[in-house]
Amino acid sequence: MSTKEQRERIELLQGTLDLLVLRTLLLGPAHGHAIAKAIEFNSEDVLQVEQGSLYPALHRLIKRGWISVEEGTSENNRRAKFYKLTPKGRRQLALETRKWDKLAGAIARILRPA
Amino acid sequence: MSQRKRMLEDLDADIRDHIERETQDNIERGMSPEEARYAAHRKFGNVTHVKEETRLVWSFVWLEQLIEDIRFGLRLLRKNPGFTVVAMLTLALGIGANTAVFSLLYAVLLQPLPYKDPSSLIVLNETTPKVGTVSVSYPNFLDWRSQTRSFSQMAAVHGMDFNLAGVAQPESISGDAVSPNFLPMMGVRPLLGRDFDSSEEKAGTPPVVLLSYSLWQSHFGGDPKAVGRIITLDGRGFTVVGVLPPNYRAPDKTDVLLPLGVWVTDNPEGAAVRGDRGDMVVIGRLAPRVAFARARAEMEGIAARLAKEFPASNDQFGVALQPIRDAFVGDMKTPILVLFGAVLFVLLIACANVANLFLVRGAGRTKEVALRMALGASTGRIICQMLTESFVLSLFGGVLGVALAVAGNRGLSHLISADMLSGSTLNLNGAVLLFVAGVVVLAAFIFGLTPAIHSAKPDVQSELKEGGRTTGGGAAQNRLRGALAIAEISLALILLVAAGLMMKSLYRLLEVDPGFRPDRVLKMGMELRTQQYSKDPAVLNFWQQVLDRVRTLPGVESAAVATVIPLTDNHSRSDVTIEGMPASAPGDYPHPDVHSVSPEYVETLGITLLRGRSFTEQDNENAPLAGMINAMVARRFFPNVDPIGRRFMFGHPSATKPSKWYTIVGVVGDTKLYGLANPARLEVYVPYRQSPRNGMGLLVKSAADPAALTSAIRDAVHAIDKDQPVFAVVTMKQLVSDSVATRRMTLVLLGLFSGLALLLGAIGIYGVISYSVAQRTHEIGIRMALGAPRGEVFRLVLGQGLKLAGVGIAIGIVAAFGLARLLSSLLYGVSATDFETFAGVAILLVLVALLACYVPARRAMRVDPIVALRYE
Repeated sequence: MSTKEQRERIELLQGTLDLLVLRTLLLGPAHGHAIAKAIEFNSEDVLQVEQGSLYPALHRLIKRGWISVEEGTSENNRRAKFYKLTPKGRRQLALETRKWDKLAGAIARILRPA
Repeated sequence: MSQRKRMLEDLDADIRDHIERETQDNIERGMSPEEARYAAHRKFGNVTHVKEETRLVWSFVWLEQLIEDIRFGLRLLRKNPGFTVVAMLTLALGIGANTAVFSLLYAVLLQPLPYKDPSSLIVLNETTPKVGTVSVSYPNFLDWRSQTRSFSQMAAVHGMDFNLAGVAQPESISGDAVSPNFLPMMGVRPLLGRDFDSSEEKAGTPPVVLLSYSLWQSHFGGDPKAVGRIITLDGRGFTVVGVLPPNYRAPDKTDVLLPLGVWVTDNPEGAAVRGDRGDMVVIGRLAPRVAFARARAEMEGIAARLAKEFPASNDQFGVALQPIRDAFVGDMKTPILVLFGAVLFVLLIACANVANLFLVRGAGRTKEVALRMALGASTGRIICQMLTESFVLSLFGGVLGVALAVAGNRGLSHLISADMLSGSTLNLNGAVLLFVAGVVVLAAFIFGLTPAIHSAKPDVQSELKEGGRTTGGGAAQNRLRGALAIAEISLALILLVAAGLMMKSLYRLLEVDPGFRPDRVLKMGMELRTQQYSKDPAVLNFWQQVLDRVRTLPGVESAAVATVIPLTDNHSRSDVTIEGMPASAPGDYPHPDVHSVSPEYVETLGITLLRGRSFTEQDNENAPLAGMINAMVARRFFPNVDPIGRRFMFGHPSATKPSKWYTIVGVVGDTKLYGLANPARLEVYVPYRQSPRNGMGLLVKSAADPAALTSAIRDAVHAIDKDQPVFAVVTMKQLVSDSVATRRMTLVLLGLFSGLALLLGAIGIYGVISYSVAQRTHEIGIRMALGAPRGEVFRLVLGQGLKLAGVGIAIGIVAAFGLARLLSSLLYGVSATDFETFAGVAILLVLVALLACYVPARRAMRVDPIVALRYE
């Protein structure tokens, strides 16, 4: 049973990562490395995720239909896969963001009562 | 290409590309190339692991989970061998019983008949208000066929039996003479040779036969050259024109088929007289898109027109239609459906028991479940996992159940005669296995779902806080377990009531006085059909010789020949006119069964002689015509006068023919000709010498075991005529027993299933009470420490069990009250709401419940308060 429980715990973390990926792609299509960089940069390096864990997350989002993928050329003329938010993904992001705000607000109120 | 495949194919390149970009970034930040690559890898993490995780996203997650769940379930089942064995055996009994009964149900009610589109094949008979269904007369068939529009085709089938000679032991075989369109209409093609030709319906048809597959095998060794050979039937040569396929089926055994023209040739009178209803049924195929009801309405109209047109022969004669399946099923439908209901109850009880076991075990697992849910497993996931476990268990139970059914099949075939199956066979075919698979899935849901849902919603916090105590359960679970035990008791009660009612019926039935003494009497049949017996003196000479020879055999007390033997299919009836009675309307004449018997008939069968005398050797062809009547004729037609010396004649008085009056010499008791459950009928007897018949039954009363006489009697008959078959040899005792075979089968199986239900129900109560005692050890300890006497503790536990049993019995009685009505057509001499049966079964269940609670109650009584309290 232990393996499954670990996996379920990872799933919780991945859920957060999924949200970050969606948020990043809201700014426009990007390739994998660029997404990783963006997350690091925007969180001012607070969130140190292993870049590799980005890939299962991307594939999961594609499977759910929240992002799509297309071939393209990157800034220095290299072929790359570009990930793009779908309308379904956009709605999901809005939903997740609202939920996240609620949770964060609640925790903040508990930790720093007025 | 699937999205999954496309995405995974590029994964390696994507990851390589990613790491390269990161390395490049690092170099731009001033690292050495080697350092940069190392840092990029570190930042990316374990590449293999990432690939695996990504692949997992696309994998068939449910399948992998299922396999994992099955493995987990198997591990748990292995870890609790006691639980596993008990649950599996319980399920195996339930599923095994269902498998066995379903194989019977399939064979009789569902197995497709080997005809083209059998659902549009209809069997037609004539019917009269007085006797019910009767055979069809040939002229009526011809009119039906020419006038119907609802039927696209119609064929007549006339039974024709033959003596097959020229083989080691002469035998009687059964055949059907059929319209030439019969086989094409049924969608049956001969395996070998040809079908009948449309010209073979008229008189003058040369004698030809189609052999059944089994006759072809037994008498021609399956030789394909049999076609064209000659087979001797009734001393006449018939050319074999073909062989029927092995799966050919008719409601009764058929050895040969002949074209109807052969029957027409042999019976010119029977084929021409409208009032002559021999042994003919008609089978029709409904025209496309014609409903059964419309066909029936049309045929009733035709019959009514014929009745008006030919009142002498057709007045009051209607037509009866039945789907061909019904002709095969006969009276087996209700018993089979009742048995099927019974085994479903047994299965439900078994499921309730297993559900109870799961609940008890689930209680021990609450902590595990709570922990897993705290770690994030969803309720659905837990239920799924528990159900998988149930499926694994159910599957094992199913496999074991099928094995049980196979083992039980031999016992079943003892109880079920070939007659009841009418040509079908009991076996485990695909349909039965499919049914078992369905039962396995259904059972897994029935016994698995409730405990699964139950254990998937434990109060996580309290369970984890409660520490090491494995009390589990709680009030809700105890209530559920109690409810399951109650359900088991109710179901068991219903089955026991059904079995009780059937038992009482059979007992009542076997108590019925059949009007004759079957003990030590052997019966056999003979039909004189060859040319040498075409004249009465030859026939009488044969029977006289048989009687003379058989009487001299050692051990024979008496012997007689008779046309009608009680409880067999043979019957012969005729309208009679009683001298001096006012003339009746054509349909209102007395219509008794007519027996043509030899002098010792009444003595041999032990029939009571009420008045006058029975026939003697002097009542021969030269003496005045004599007759006997049964008590019912005497009561109905001679209520206040002595019938001795009065006269009757067969048929109706006619101006053209002189009347042949029979003088009544004796009155005998009624006999149950048509089964013990059926009322006696009017009967008249005439001396066989004054009414010679070619087909008679020989009855021999023996001083000892009558069956031991069989070969001596055969030898005696063959000494007279070596080609004369002797068939249907059976003791009268066996005949009586066979006449209740269907009821006996129903009773034995119902008894078996209700016994099983009782056992499972007892186990159910025992389980609930034992568990509750174990749970309450602490409480019982306190009670005893506070001074409660042991007897009171004992009563406390028994009382708990009895409360469950009481509620179960009450619910069961109400349900049985409603359901027993479904049995009423199978009952005899007992009402479906028989008080004695209901009361007896209720008492039995109370006793069994007491017994089941006794052991746990004793255990409770022996609880040592010190130990129980220290246990805390």
